[in-house]
Amino acid sequence: MENTTKLTRRQMLRGMIASGGVAILAACGAAPAAPAAPAATDAPAAAAPTSAPAVAAAPSATTITYWGSFSGGLGEAEAAMVKAFNESQSEVQVEYQFQGSYEETAQKFTAALQANTIPDVVLLSDVWWFSFYTAGAIAPLDDLASQVKLDFSDYEPVLLDEGVRQGKHYWVPFARSTPLFYYNKQIWQEAGLPDRSPDTWAEMADWATKLVKKDGDTISQAAFAHPNGASYIAWLFQGVVWQFNGQYSNPDFTMTMTDPNTLRAAQFYQDTVNKDKWAILSQDVNKDFTGGITASTMASTGGLAGIQKAAAFPVGVGFLPKADSFGCPTGGSGLAIPTSTPDDKKLAAMKYIAFATSTESAGVWARSTGYMPVRLSTKETPEMVTFFDENPNFKTVVDQLPLTRAQDAARVFVRNGDQIIGKGLERIIVNGESPDAVFADVNAELTKGAAPILEDLKAIEAGACAGLRRSGLRRRRRWRCR
Amino acid sequence: MTSVSPRTAGGSRRERREWLLFAALIGPNLALFAIFTYWPLLYNLYLSFVRWNFLRPRKPFVWLDNYIEVFTDTQFWIIALNTLTFTVCSVGLTLLIGLALALLINQPLRYRNAARAVLFSPVIMSGAVVAVVWSYIFDPRYGLLDQILGFVGASSPDWLGDPRWAMPAVILVYVWKNVGYAVVIYLAGLQGIPRELYDAARVDGAGAVDRFWHVTLPGLSPVAFFLSVTSLLACFQSFDIVKVLTDGGPAIATTTLIYHLYDLGFVSYDAGKAGVMAMVLFGVMLALTVIQLRYVEERVAYA
Repeated sequence: MENTTKLTRRQMLRGMIASGGVAILAACGAAPAAPAAPAATDAPAAAAPTSAPAVAAAPSATTITYWGSFSGGLGEAEAAMVKAFNESQSEVQVEYQFQGSYEETAQKFTAALQANTIPDVVLLSDVWWFSFYTAGAIAPLDDLASQVKLDFSDYEPVLLDEGVRQGKHYWVPFARSTPLFYYNKQIWQEAGLPDRSPDTWAEMADWATKLVKKDGDTISQAAFAHPNGASYIAWLFQGVVWQFNGQYSNPDFTMTMTDPNTLRAAQFYQDTVNKDKWAILSQDVNKDFTGGITASTMASTGGLAGIQKAAAFPVGVGFLPKADSFGCPTGGSGLAIPTSTPDDKKLAAMKYIAFATSTESAGVWARSTGYMPVRLSTKETPEMVTFFDENPNFKTVVDQLPLTRAQDAARVFVRNGDQIIGKGLERIIVNGESPDAVFADVNAELTKGAAPILEDLKAIEAGACAGLRRSGLRRRRRWRCR
Repeated sequence: MTSVSPRTAGGSRRERREWLLFAALIGPNLALFAIFTYWPLLYNLYLSFVRWNFLRPRKPFVWLDNYIEVFTDTQFWIIALNTLTFTVCSVGLTLLIGLALALLINQPLRYRNAARAVLFSPVIMSGAVVAVVWSYIFDPRYGLLDQILGFVGASSPDWLGDPRWAMPAVILVYVWKNVGYAVVIYLAGLQGIPRELYDAARVDGAGAVDRFWHVTLPGLSPVAFFLSVTSLLACFQSFDIVKVLTDGGPAIATTTLIYHLYDLGFVSYDAGKAGVMAMVLFGVMLALTVIQLRYVEERVAYA
């Protein structure tokens, strides 16, 4: 026994070490290795039923796949939307596939492009659609829109225009939102505060002393909560930066993270947590707000319906507080169609987009979630008018929209810019590092991240086809030059 | 069979057949290794020299730029230190606590088997599940730990939100999950130590402490060696608990090398730098393995 185990132990050990050592590489290498995999076949779904025009009988429906990021209450609203579409006509059947968060959806779409197994409609967030645009992975929609008689002029211009490049529409607003100030009316009342959101951050700091509760050194009830980097603190901070008259970057991609006003905003964020101690950095602001752990927060309008449902207290909402001025970004996600989707499916996909963003659907979606009605005409529909009367909080959402603007390039156009800024803010708030030093790092990282984007933009937008050819894009069939 | 070389194989018919048999037996395995291990390894090496974001059609060759960027990043050295802290503490505690528990349940106690089952059960649980459960336990406002600390009049730190406590919290969960494995292996080792040695030691007048130091510990050394190697390698690659519990945060307080690799590759979409990190991890683990095999194994007394 002892003799044999001696040998096998050694062998086993070596075997385990060898396999352990390489497993990690296998794990990392496998995904990038995928580009080698796609075979010569071009169309991902060879069996796609090309609805033969000659055969009039038995209308064979085109089935398309839709990748989205909504789960829970939002997922139910999304499923209802898809169901309503499928039942409204018989030509197109949409299959909704939940892919995880915005980040995970983008991650899977990236992988899908390499493996050429793409969806026909994809939901992309504010920080992601542009990366796919510069990679030539999402298609211009104008021809398709005119084929399904979709009129872009009825869309909220501030939302629609973000998805326009060189006069063409690539990204149709769908679940678009803005940050909103949420407060707990019950705590507000107990603290003897007026029933409204604070006008300015100075007022908030003043009120905070009445809202915050401490148990020794730890905060048991915070006056305000910031989300962490993964929950898009950089999106909410975008508005705050503007309120301090700073910005993340110039439109030409020059980074301005070290601008004195941007730094002032960062210092303010740090002070709320570290010096004045009335705010916390929360892992889940919606949960902490509805759980009464924080008296107020800034969060997406898209969470309004869910928050009101989950909260055991009356929820108050208001415009974002001002500092030197008012500032509020747009956000959320929109729909796009991949370039390599076959033409018949593209048309089917466009039909779905037209349905999901129609005057009626936009109203249904807005009422069940809190996202913006993306159509101008939606606000005039009788359902919406009554709804606003009954739910003044939703009216606030829409009233703030004209005051918003599109975000700085640093967050939405630089790939991963959102997380770079978010991680920087975590260092400032959690580690208490100096804003100057951290944002100098962030500035450098963003500048580096912007370089390839600018290069791609030049290739795609300036030289158009010539640029594409030079950069080698034409070698791959899916970036056909039109 | 393996000694048959291709040159002499051409000679006799029998040798050729053996050679073919060898190829037939080894071929499928080799093919799998080549596709899923060696090719990704080489491809990863290639990626570490290019700049690529997983989307752009071109992958410009940048020589050592990625390596320079990774190593000159001040965050990298904090992350390396995090990894060292995490690995040393986790492996050390797993081995020590595992030994203590193994000695304890090796005694003829009642409900010994039940105790073994309880100790081993976290090992077979999914790391993500364990991390989700612990994230509730750690909650500073309504978590179980807060309530337990409340009994002794202490207030819970914000385990996962405070950079000073996040790493200890992750280590605690990791050790809790993996100590059962060490216990089982130690137990097997303990039962493999011949009884005669203990009897002989007793005859020589050795007390319980002496028997532990001079019989049990040397007898366990091959097992401890095996455990230290496997735990170290597993710990280095441990990702699930960190991902679910803290996402490497707050800031980068619990970011380890493997998490950083994920972060670079699948959050930042920087295939080049992620490739560098993979090579770094590969190099570190290769070095550790060689050191352990060369120097530690010599001192191990195989019973």
